[in-house]
Amino acid sequence: MPVLGPNYRRDLEIHRYPILVYALVPLAALVLQAWLPWVLRGYAWFDLPLVITVYFALARRNPIQGTLLGAGLGIFQDGLTHHAIGVNGIAKTVVGFLAASVGVRIDVENHTIRLVLIFLFSLTCSAIFVFIYRILLGMDLEWSWLAELMRAVGNTLIATVLFPLLDRAQIKD
Amino acid sequence: MEPFFVRYRNILVFLAILLAQIIGLAVQVRRTESGRSSADAGDGSGVRLIRLWADGLVTPPERMFHASKLGAGSLWQDYLNLRHVREQNQDLQKTIDRLRLEQASLLEDAKQGQRLQGLLDFQQKYIYKTLAVQAIGSSGSDQSRVFYIDKGADYKLERDMAVITADGIVGKVREVFPHTAQVLAINDQTSGAGVILETTRIRGILRGNAAGRPQIVGILADQRIQPGEKVLTAGGDQIFPRGLAVGVVEKVIRDPERDSFINVIVKPAAQLDRLDEVLVITSTAQRFSPDQQQDLAISEDQKGAEVEAIKEQKEASEIMAERLPGLTDPNAPQAAPGAASTSGPGQAGQQAPNPATPVAASPAPKLMSPRHSDRFTPGAAEEAAPSAVPEDKPKPKQPSPKPESKPKSKANSKADQPSTPRRNP
Repeated sequence: MPVLGPNYRRDLEIHRYPILVYALVPLAALVLQAWLPWVLRGYAWFDLPLVITVYFALARRNPIQGTLLGAGLGIFQDGLTHHAIGVNGIAKTVVGFLAASVGVRIDVENHTIRLVLIFLFSLTCSAIFVFIYRILLGMDLEWSWLAELMRAVGNTLIATVLFPLLDRAQIKD
Repeated sequence: MEPFFVRYRNILVFLAILLAQIIGLAVQVRRTESGRSSADAGDGSGVRLIRLWADGLVTPPERMFHASKLGAGSLWQDYLNLRHVREQNQDLQKTIDRLRLEQASLLEDAKQGQRLQGLLDFQQKYIYKTLAVQAIGSSGSDQSRVFYIDKGADYKLERDMAVITADGIVGKVREVFPHTAQVLAINDQTSGAGVILETTRIRGILRGNAAGRPQIVGILADQRIQPGEKVLTAGGDQIFPRGLAVGVVEKVIRDPERDSFINVIVKPAAQLDRLDEVLVITSTAQRFSPDQQQDLAISEDQKGAEVEAIKEQKEASEIMAERLPGLTDPNAPQAAPGAASTSGPGQAGQQAPNPATPVAASPAPKLMSPRHSDRFTPGAAEEAAPSAVPEDKPKPKQPSPKPESKPKSKANSKADQPSTPRRNP
């Protein structure tokens, strides 16, 4: 299978970005995630911090960085809600770690693979969120899987545009 | 051989961060008296610090976006798109006039209501002071229906203050930051507002469902609840004043967890997904605010005379309708057998059967006698004939051309004019 690792050198290639990209892109994701749903009047089926977490985790191929980025973005997202701090944090920590671990093993240069991954990680994140809320915390929460499916599709569509744009910001050797 | 921590550093870091967050969650979430877990009982200092950081990070750009959006919008609205403004202004002026008229006519009722409430020692609270604020952003999550407003502790906002629009209630202030505040909307799953159905007077608790629609929960199945019924605040939650609009009943569904209970889905009066400017009720009091009093005084001065004239006109028409002879009195008691069925005018109140009066075979429609009869009153002409009235019966009092007692009110004097025409033969 050419996709699953034909070129060991390429698989180990770690993408690097300017420091401003590391600082501003996650911040922009947080701000837009808080502001766009307000502008779009409820039709906000996306999770920009998750998309950014998955992107950098796949690109950097470093589980620790993926974990930290996911945890940071998730905790800040929790800070904007009225839920307990850590629900989104744990979900995105797991996703960040998984994405970086997957990025080490498969060829994530392929754009289609990345889109499939973002779709799957979106659903994983939702599942972890429900697990934490209902099982770990034992709190009441009504849930709509259709909405989560729509969100996963939304994330995939955003990634279709955003990933190539962010790829352009890479530092070329 | 690589050391253990170096070899497994990825998984160890991951587990350490995960564990720290789980412990943090365990600290925040507490079990309530009802046996359920809740995280809404007030944040600890550490959690509040994180919320403060998140707010400090996100709200400045949000304010900037919002200000630019408002600027562009106001440029278009205030300077460019001014078509039909004059007509709209005239329409609005007419609406204000009409509302002032209505307000003045309702003023007396309101004052009387206040007096009665005072007698009953009922503590009705009115919205005394509000603060207009702009909604600038949301939490960004469907599971957390909170939004941020552009004023906070700097404007003396406090937790649990009610947030409303002119259309209806919106939510309550949940967290106050130095320059912003977080508002929990009524369609969030953790919100709760005491509400009452306007017609059926059924009370319940309003909160949101997974789809973000407000619903009244914990109501026993009742056939009287129909779509379209208005829902108002009940005032028992100490947050929303009583009687504010909440919405209308959209549909009634069965509670999936309890058979005999229903959930009433409510269509909110305020457009919760289209909020720009909202009002925070900063204080309530047992009297009208100075602004309201001033408004009422203006209404009373400007429109009070008109209202009085309308009221007099209404009273006059009622009196006139009263004086006009009717066929039967629906409230009159059934005539006793042998009672005079053809009672002439002037015999009002003479319910005792008169043996000299011939008894009619079939009950004929009984004419109601007018309160002040005159020569135009039906039957007055027959009274002149002596055969119409038995000899042994005292003659009914001849109606005087003028009313016996002058009405005291202006309305009555006005009402007399059409009913007693001054016509010379």
